[in-house]
Order: sequence, then structure tokens, then C-alpha cells
Amino acid sequence: MEHIKETELQLQDDKRTRRSALLLGGAALAGLALGQKAFAQTGPTDNDILNFALNLEFLEAQFYTLATTGMTIDQVGLSTKSGGGTAGGAVTVKANPKVTFTTPLLQQLAAEITQDEQNHVKFLQAALGANAIAQPKIDLMNSFNALASAAGLGSTFDPFASETNFLLGAFIFEDVGVTAYQGAAGLITSKTYLDKAVGIHNVEAYHAAAIRTRIFQAGSAAQSASQAIARTRATLDGTGNDDIGVGVTNGAATIVDNDANGMTYARTTTQVLSIVYGGGAAGTGGAFFPSGMNGTIK
Amino acid sequence: MNNKLPGRGPLSRRSFLAGAGGAAALVTAAGCGDSTPMTALPTNPGTTAITDADILNFALNLEYLEAEFYLRAVTGSGLSDADAGSGAGAVTGGTQVVFKTPAIQQYAQEIANDELAHVRFLRKALGSSAVSRPAIDLSNSFNAAAMAAGIGAAFNPFADENSFIVGAFTFEDVGVTAYHGAAGLLSSKTYLAAAAGILATEAYHAGEIRTLITELGAPYLTYANQISALRAAAGGGAETMLSGYTIVAADSNSISYDRTTDQVLHIVYLSAASGVVSKGGFFPNGLNGTIKATAS
Repeated sequence: MEHIKETELQLQDDKRTRRSALLLGGAALAGLALGQKAFAQTGPTDNDILNFALNLEFLEAQFYTLATTGMTIDQVGLSTKSGGGTAGGAVTVKANPKVTFTTPLLQQLAAEITQDEQNHVKFLQAALGANAIAQPKIDLMNSFNALASAAGLGSTFDPFASETNFLLGAFIFEDVGVTAYQGAAGLITSKTYLDKAVGIHNVEAYHAAAIRTRIFQAGSAAQSASQAIARTRATLDGTGNDDIGVGVTNGAATIVDNDANGMTYARTTTQVLSIVYGGGAAGTGGAFFPSGMNGTIK
Repeated sequence: MNNKLPGRGPLSRRSFLAGAGGAAALVTAAGCGDSTPMTALPTNPGTTAITDADILNFALNLEYLEAEFYLRAVTGSGLSDADAGSGAGAVTGGTQVVFKTPAIQQYAQEIANDELAHVRFLRKALGSSAVSRPAIDLSNSFNAAAMAAGIGAAFNPFADENSFIVGAFTFEDVGVTAYHGAAGLLSSKTYLAAAAGILATEAYHAGEIRTLITELGAPYLTYANQISALRAAAGGGAETMLSGYTIVAADSNSISYDRTTDQVLHIVYLSAASGVVSKGGFFPNGLNGTIKATAS
């Protein structure tokens, strides 16, 4: 058992009293569905949405593969090329990023998530075939430093420096993945792809919970950092409050990032882009994607 | 890389094939990581078209079960009369757990809050169509499950905090697969968004509970895997044996499993019997609503 006695933390935002993003999300989805009906050519196709997801899976797969092996995904045998053969973009990361794990179960979790994210890349590439985008340029160094500054966690942040830093680095991605797939699910027209997207959405939620449980157990400093990151994500996505860090509120843990209805948040593709670009302009990119994403939704 | 992860893969007795009149194929239980799970988009062959309200009510029954389990564990009492609906069925068993670890109590409180919120959300969404809470058994059900799983003659998930975590494990992955299956059946985009929000919350719960069990280790990890095998045997649908390398229950593409309503019913009724099964296990009088009897 690795439970640490926790002191109750005073959170600025209480998920039990906050408004539901779902209703907004539902309205947004309804609007998009309507838009697609009226202007069939302008709505995103299923391929557009799957490629949007593939960009995010490239980011996650690179982060976890580098953390667990010190190598990029192309170095361990995955393709970063497009379906048409265009070469993938470069990855910016510090030298020797392999994390020194001291907790065997945590190392095993990291290995599992690495495998899952690689599988998601491969699955989406296979589903998209010739339509698959190439990996965009990815930055796993300056991005974390900029995000740390924005979150008030210092001028630099190295997610590969320790187990706890790795957890916080993972935390940055996982909940965003959950909200992104949730937002995207309503846009997919194919029942088969919807089923797969929901299945990936679930897996990202399992990951998020495992990471957040570990952050909870890591103690109050790690919890506070997660809360600062969550606040920053909520600022970047424009909602101001639809994101909850790890802690304790009114005697209840906040392992789940959800609203007062017990539902996880949905983010639009625009909101997701704003987070992964670190506030950079749509179409231009920034932070984790310094030259923007590839595909039509970017 | 897949071969480096022991245990990830399906563990199922049978799989229902969509569009084949409920024909079931036997799939041997195996921990091999590379086989493809035989999951399919859920259908209810031979019945009239089910509505979104039918599906939400099916989910509401499951949320009643989870809410009663967690609320009783945390507070000693279950849903209020207002939350259970008029003419609600009785609840057997379920007592307050004596938590020794503050963190585990805080985890439990959060999940109880979430399940209560799900009950309230679904009741509100369904309005006058909402079914009331059916009769729920939290005592004989766990004993029967323990016997069938080979854990022992009795199992009380309220006896202590570690037993509570194993009790929670019984439900959480099932909720994920049930919502995953149901999502494809919903016709309303609004309800689909709601279902996606609830199911991801269930997946967070499942990921959390599975993480905690790997930290507990033996004998709780063994119990969990015995329950996992029982779920696969009773209901069909794939399971992933739990280990430090397999926190996530998913297939070889790292996509979570889904279950048909039939498969879910077989699990919560604790009955692998083929044909029509309409009550038993956690729901001694069956579910309320139109989806309550198995088709095969």
C-alpha cells in the first residue's frame, strides 16, 4: 500500500457545484450537426476527425515511448509517414529522456500506456490508410517549459526528470485526450468508427484515472501542481473552469475530471487545439505542435 | 511490443454475434494477447426496436445498483425515496464500511457522489418515463458470486476497506462495457453525448479501482481476477486479466470492450443459463423497464 495521509486541500473550484459542460457540448454538437446538414461540404468528414485524433495520438505515443525507452516511435519501428509516403516531422526533446523509474508498478503502468498509445497510432493509421496524415512537428521540451510558466510552476519543467514529473507530464495529456474524444464522438457519422472512438475514449479515461490516482498518492505538492495545470487548461480552452485537478473536496477525492452531473467534459476541436498549441493561433500552432497539426482540422 | 505485456487480451466464454439470431460462439478462455476479441455492435435480435428511453432506463437500473452499493458503503444508507422513485424495490444488505485509510474513504465518497449524480441525471432526462429502483440484493448476490468464482462460500464487500475495493471491481468494468455497447444504440446525439460522459466517468472509476487492486496485491488481486473470469463465464464479453501491466481492460488494438444488453443481464443476474433469464443475482426480481430479459 502506498497511500499517504492527505490533508484536505482547499480548491478554488468545486466540481460538485459547477455548471455542466455537457449541456454546452450537446448544444455545440447539435449546432454542428445542423451545420453539416445545411452545408454538407463544410462539416468535418470522419477522416478529418480520425486524422485530428491521430495528431494527438502521435503526441502521446512520442511522449510515453521517449519516457520509457529513450527512443522515438519511429526508432522503435512505427511509421510516422503519411499514407502517401510524406515523411513525418521532427521531435524536439532533451537528450536522454528515458525516465528513471523507482516504483515497479508505476514503471509497468508507463509501459502499458506506451503500448496503448502506440496501438492507437497504428490503429488509426490502418483505419485511414492512404488518407492518414504524417506526424507533425512535435515539441516535448519548450512546450512543457512554456506551460509550466503559464501555470505558475516555474520557468522550466522537465517531465522526464523524475517519476513525479513524469506523472504530471502524463496528466497534461490524458484528460485532454478524454475530452477530445468525447467531443469528437458526436461528430463521427460511421457507427463502426463511433464504436472505436468510444473504445479509445474509454482507454484514455482508464489511463487518466491511473495517472491521477498516482498523483493523489504522491502527495500535496503533486496534487497542487495538477490543480495549477488544470486551471491553465481551462484558461486556454476558454471555459475558465471546466477542468479539475487532483485533490480532495468536501471529503471526496477528485480522481475523476468531471462535472456536477458525474459526467466528463467534452471539448470542441477548437478548444483542444488551443490547449495543445498553448494558446497559439489556429492554423499556426505552438507549444506541443510548433508548426501546427496536420490534416484539415488544425 | 504486444508480447511484452502479459495478460492483455480477451477472456471470454462466448460472444454474441450480431445479426445471427443470437447465435453464440464458444471462445475458450485464454490469456493470449494477440487474439482478437469477438465483440460486435450490440443488437437485440427478435425484439421490436428499442427506444433511447429503453436504453437510458436500462442504464438507470445499473446506476441504482452502483449508487446503492457505494452510498451504503460510505454512509450506511442508500438512495432517498425521492431518488429511488415511487414504489421502489427493497434493498437487501449493504452496511457502512469502517475505512481505516482516509484516502480510500475519499475515493469511495467521490464514486458514491458520481453514481448518485448519474441516477439523478438519468431520472431527470427520462422524466415521467424513468423507472423506479428495482429490488436489489447486495448480500446473497456477492455470496453467490464468490461461490461461483471460487473465492469461497461467502464474500462481504462491506467487511473492510480492501474487500470494498474488490466489491467495487465487480461493477466498474461492467459499467464501462455496458455503456460502450449502449452508445451505438442511441439515436439522439444529445443522449449519446450524455452516455459518453457517463461512460468515461465509469472508465475513470474502473482505472482507479484496478490501480488500487494492483497495489493491494494478493489475495485481492486474485479475487479480482476470479471475478473477472466469472463475468466472462456468466455473461460473455471479453475481459482483461488484471496485473501491473494491464490496468486497462482493452483489446489488442487498445480499444475497450463492449457488451450487449444480453451479456450485461447475464452478469448482473449471475446466470450463464441460455435462453430467457429475467431475474437473479443483484436484481432478485429483475430490472425495471423493457430491457430486462435475456434473448439467449
